[in-house]
Amino acid sequence: MSWTGDPPDGAWPLEVEDLTVAYPGGPALLERVALRAAPGEILGLLGPSGCGKSTLLRHLVGLERPRRGRIALFGRDLWADEGAQMDLLRRRFGMMYQGGALFGDLTLLENVVFPLREFTDLPLKAAEAAARLKLSLVGLAGFEHSQPASLSGGMRKRAAIARALALEPKLLFLDEPSAGLDPVTSAGLDQLIVTLARNLSLAFVMVTHELGSIMTAVDRAVLFDRELRGVAAEGSPAFLASELAGPQAAAFFRRAKLDRGAQSRLKAENGHF
Amino acid sequence: MSPTFRVQGPEAGRLSLFGPLTAQAPGRIWKALLARRDLRGTLTLDLGGLSALDLNGAAQLLWLRETLGGRGLAVSFEGLAEAYAPIWRLAENSLGPPTPPPPQPDAISRLGRLATEFLADVAALIAFLGELLPRLAGLALRPWRGRWTLTLRLAQTAAVDALPVTALVAFLVGLILAFQSAMFMKLFGVDIFVADLVGLSVVRELGTLLTAIVLTGRSGSAFSAELATMKTNQEIDAFLTMGLSPTRDLALPRVLALTAATPLLTVLADFAGLLGGDVVMIALGHPAAAFWTELSQHLDASDVSTGLFKAIVFGFTVAAVGCQRGLAAGSGPEAVGQAATRGVVSNIVILAALDSLFAVVFYVLDW
Ligand SMILES: Nc1ncnc2c1ncn2[C@@H]1O[C@H](COP(=O)(O)OP(=O)(O)OP(=O)(O)O)[C@@H](O)[C@H]1O
Ligand SMILES: [Mg+2]
Repeated sequence: MSWTGDPPDGAWPLEVEDLTVAYPGGPALLERVALRAAPGEILGLLGPSGCGKSTLLRHLVGLERPRRGRIALFGRDLWADEGAQMDLLRRRFGMMYQGGALFGDLTLLENVVFPLREFTDLPLKAAEAAARLKLSLVGLAGFEHSQPASLSGGMRKRAAIARALALEPKLLFLDEPSAGLDPVTSAGLDQLIVTLARNLSLAFVMVTHELGSIMTAVDRAVLFDRELRGVAAEGSPAFLASELAGPQAAAFFRRAKLDRGAQSRLKAENGHF
Repeated sequence: MSPTFRVQGPEAGRLSLFGPLTAQAPGRIWKALLARRDLRGTLTLDLGGLSALDLNGAAQLLWLRETLGGRGLAVSFEGLAEAYAPIWRLAENSLGPPTPPPPQPDAISRLGRLATEFLADVAALIAFLGELLPRLAGLALRPWRGRWTLTLRLAQTAAVDALPVTALVAFLVGLILAFQSAMFMKLFGVDIFVADLVGLSVVRELGTLLTAIVLTGRSGSAFSAELATMKTNQEIDAFLTMGLSPTRDLALPRVLALTAATPLLTVLADFAGLLGGDVVMIALGHPAAAFWTELSQHLDASDVSTGLFKAIVFGFTVAAVGCQRGLAAGSGPEAVGQAATRGVVSNIVILAALDSLFAVVFYVLDW
């Protein structure tokens, strides 16, 4: 299932070396972070609340300037050139924010059509068909003309995923896509992510706490820790859930171990959405 | 670079597609195809030459089939490589017909809605007043329960920070008023009365009104925006569910702050306006003291108290209306801007109406 091998022409969608994650003037939240995502790979970022996962994503997409370290997207250094080059690079990935960050004065359809209108020259109706497809894939068919303010939190979250998928970029950052969703919807989203990763070679970098997502969708996971201020363990979900991955992973996955039965049930049900 | 998407045909009811079909496909290809009015019967799209197909590409094909189908042209696909089948199936199974947009209200129902909204606005303002006044009375009975630190801080931003702009505007208005009237009164040699004209206008009317308008723009709109933002963030809901009263804890301190700040600012605005008048008098060759001597003969305590009384009422109104508009805001980012605009507009209309009312009442009472 999971992706193996080297990316074509040596360009990894995401490559991070020796990154220090911090807010300007604040203490370092994470240090010596090294990450790598291959095309079509689903990389999970795990860790306790407040350890700096969202902040790490802010660094990866170029919203915060790293104090130290290197971030390369598709083989290009993110901070090599801050002008038009950085904007071009930014158009090659999608980002879903933890809070959704939908444009409040646009309908859902307009939110998803927006990047298509800006960055393609498709006829408007074709772009709208593509946007409707994305909304329908996250289970929001019929809500195209709703305003974000009139939706539930989970619906806004799903709409935000649809918007991040609008251009089908080869690299997607998702901040807790399935947190707060019911298990059925959440499993459906995992299924969608896996389908897109396998068939379109989209690389996903997603922050998640959901055991279901970790065990069924994620190919490789990195576990961060607040005390260590860095990576506590890294590997396949099965490895992290085993006794070999160290005390932090053991604490994180304690529930998983208690719940092996539920886990295998989840695996069996995966795909029936 | 990578090959671009292109098509061949349509010839004999066939269109062959080549290259990667994604969101980056040139839109003019589809526009050109849709512009062809001579196509009849069936059109077969040969997908065998595609080197990539993503959801955006599949959506374009489905949209094409739908649009051309609406013109009576049956579109079919063939030759899709097995590798693209999962994405194609996903798209085909998910993309339904477009949802019709919600109906737009016609002109008459819009007019009716505007009228009911206006009446509801007025009713809401009155209801808010009915909520605020008992809170004010409650505070008078138990003053130690008030949020005085917040009130003081708000009064400080409302009054102290507004000093320069209020003084400047009042000074310039006094100057202009004196200058315009002096031009005319000098012809008759009665330019000394400019002092009375400027003095009475500024102290009874303009000083108060200018201060109230400056505070509407500076503080009233800020109150609306602050409270509307809290409303959008569900902070107001949190207040309510904790059994707290947004009127008491959020609106009342603001209302008290502005009610206290406005008379103080008005005194300053009065002085600045008079100073503007004096400057013109000096420029006309009168000694600096002449202006004040003349003024002291015609301006009495009731003129000053009229202005200050109005200032108290205006300060209360500006804050109360600003807060009410904020608390009544809808949700979403637009709502914050709307609340601020509506607060300012309502305030200016209400200030003008109140001032006219006061003019009549004071005339009748001979105050
Ligand atoms: N804008 C900011 N400025 C300064 N510090 C911040 C800012 N936002 C968050 N922090 C701090 O950074 C730390 C990490 O926050 P972050 O949002 O990255 O956590 P997280 O790992 O995403 O947590 P969660 O799982 O709860 O979303 C927190 O301790 C927080 O106090
Ligand atoms: Mg977070």
